[in-house]
Amino acid sequence: MAEPVLDIRNLSVNYLTPRGTVKALRRINLQVPSAKVVGLVGESGCGKSTLISTVIRLMAENARVAAGEIRFTGKDMQQLSPRDLRAIRGRDMSMVFQDPMTALNPVFTVGRQMADIQYRDAVSRKEKLKRASDMLSLVGIPDAVSRLDNYPHHFSGGMRQRITIAMALLVQPKLLIADEPTTALDATLEVQIIRLLKALQADFQCAILFISHHLNVIAELCDFVGVMYAGELVEKGSVRDIFHRPGHPYTRALLECDPSVIAEPTRFLPTIPGEIPSLIDLPEGCIFHDRCPRAAQVCKKTPPPEVSLAEHHTVACHCLEV
Amino acid sequence: MEPLLEVDNLRVRFKTKSAVKAFMEKDDDPYIDGVMGVSFAIEPGQTYGLVGESGSGKTTIARAVMGLIPVHSGAIRFNGENLVGLSRDRIKPFRRDIALMFQDPAGSLSPRLKIRSILAEPFRIHGMMPENLSDEVARLLKMVNLSPSMGDLYPHQLSGGQARRVGVARALALSPKLIIADEPTAGLDVSVQGEILNLMAQLQNDMGLSFLIITHNLAVVRHVSDHVAIMYLGRFLEQGPTQTVFHQMRHPYTQALLSAHASPDPDAVHHRISISGEIPGLVSRPRGCEFHTRCPGVREKCHRQFPPRADAGKDHRYFCHYPLSVPEN
Repeated sequence: MAEPVLDIRNLSVNYLTPRGTVKALRRINLQVPSAKVVGLVGESGCGKSTLISTVIRLMAENARVAAGEIRFTGKDMQQLSPRDLRAIRGRDMSMVFQDPMTALNPVFTVGRQMADIQYRDAVSRKEKLKRASDMLSLVGIPDAVSRLDNYPHHFSGGMRQRITIAMALLVQPKLLIADEPTTALDATLEVQIIRLLKALQADFQCAILFISHHLNVIAELCDFVGVMYAGELVEKGSVRDIFHRPGHPYTRALLECDPSVIAEPTRFLPTIPGEIPSLIDLPEGCIFHDRCPRAAQVCKKTPPPEVSLAEHHTVACHCLEV
Repeated sequence: MEPLLEVDNLRVRFKTKSAVKAFMEKDDDPYIDGVMGVSFAIEPGQTYGLVGESGSGKTTIARAVMGLIPVHSGAIRFNGENLVGLSRDRIKPFRRDIALMFQDPAGSLSPRLKIRSILAEPFRIHGMMPENLSDEVARLLKMVNLSPSMGDLYPHQLSGGQARRVGVARALALSPKLIIADEPTAGLDVSVQGEILNLMAQLQNDMGLSFLIITHNLAVVRHVSDHVAIMYLGRFLEQGPTQTVFHQMRHPYTQALLSAHASPDPDAVHHRISISGEIPGLVSRPRGCEFHTRCPGVREKCHRQFPPRADAGKDHRYFCHYPLSVPEN
């Protein structure tokens, strides 16, 4: 495999809080190959957002990288000066946020915002606006030229998310980070946005790091998937490995909980009993052991090894059924 | 069986401008229709699901049933008695029997009150203070599988799932007959979503409660509700027993919504019925059939005329000029 666009190695991130150190991410290893879509799934509090804010270095003030490194196109993100960082963000790496209602500036027209983000390019404003309107029609906004003069509140939610995607791709990034871009949208719009992302990704050949807790969307869009639980990447592999041959008990439980996979209507749905452990006082052994149906003695004592099941498919678990 | 709640041709309108402005602009109809003539009935111990995209009027129906917004026309009968037009005082007793679980669990719990006070409020408002309030609060917390010591916490100390349980406990406080649950699982993780739905199912078994569940999550509705209505711009485009609507749907919108929810399988072949565009606003309600702007099977007649009601079987109705043929099983 060629060198990945994004290479996260052994990353650990802590939050310093008055109640103690929250170990929000622990030993994360994740690669995003160029022109591939990598999905991250996990429930609230698993560290998805901490991971992306660390990648793009927009961390909270009390966040500290305790170990590991993040390499983006070979450069160590932690070592970059603010100036070098600025050159990367919004050019080689861009982002689509969860809430399209607040991602755009309400007091400027869409055209102005789309022209402004091309500030690095030495072309005329007319040319920038032309690019902006071309991009808007590409993401399926009808009558793009005249809509450049509209303000964000003139657009509906689905349209606004299309605009933020257009803006993110306008700079032709090498990596697009999408943080739950469809969560705030209705089902029929979600389908439209996923199709759009898929088509544009094929066109632009950019890599996407796609965060979602929506399994259907991940299955449809991604090439590789990482499953996070309580700050650890418990399993990663190709999308087929994860959905057809899940190894980790947490991945299995998560897939079984999805009401859309249960064919027969039932009044009682499966759940994962228990709660996420405290990230201040981490339990010994495997992070999932107190909720795991397969937990053995060894799981309570020793952290699980990373077991490779297939090429690219690794699982952190003691009790794999082989 | 006699229905517990019967909504008959309910219509809710919102005023869009003041009388003076409407007069000046010669606008003789300064209203938009939030809900346009919907009818449904919930029997005791049953669950009715309202499904639709944002802005389709689901929550408006819930608020009308609770008597929180004025009704333009139609009837809302609870246990045979029409609630429409009742004064504030006369409607209050019915609010003991109909409880509401709000959409945003954390936002609907006052941040300044402890859980114990939040759960005591319904009793206070209805002048039904039990003799031993703390026993009652503990009982409510236990019913939703929370420990009684949680009464001493503030809402911000709870997780999303716990806050949702407190919402359920508060709805249960006055032993209602009907609970309206507005998006009971929105914003919850899949593993927690099951817990809340299971809790609701269990309460229904134990206490014979009826539920009106409002959601845009079809996967959830399929499991929990007996009947379902598919809403679009304030109308029920299709309604009927859940199994029938899911497997013998006649309306293209139902089909499109269902096909948008694929199974999480990377190899699945999606037979998607693609519908383009977005739900038009209530202000610019399309003429004729409201769905015609997005319908894949639209024909000339759809632009002109709203389709008449068609009955496809027991309780199964839809509104479409050119319905889908029934799939053979």
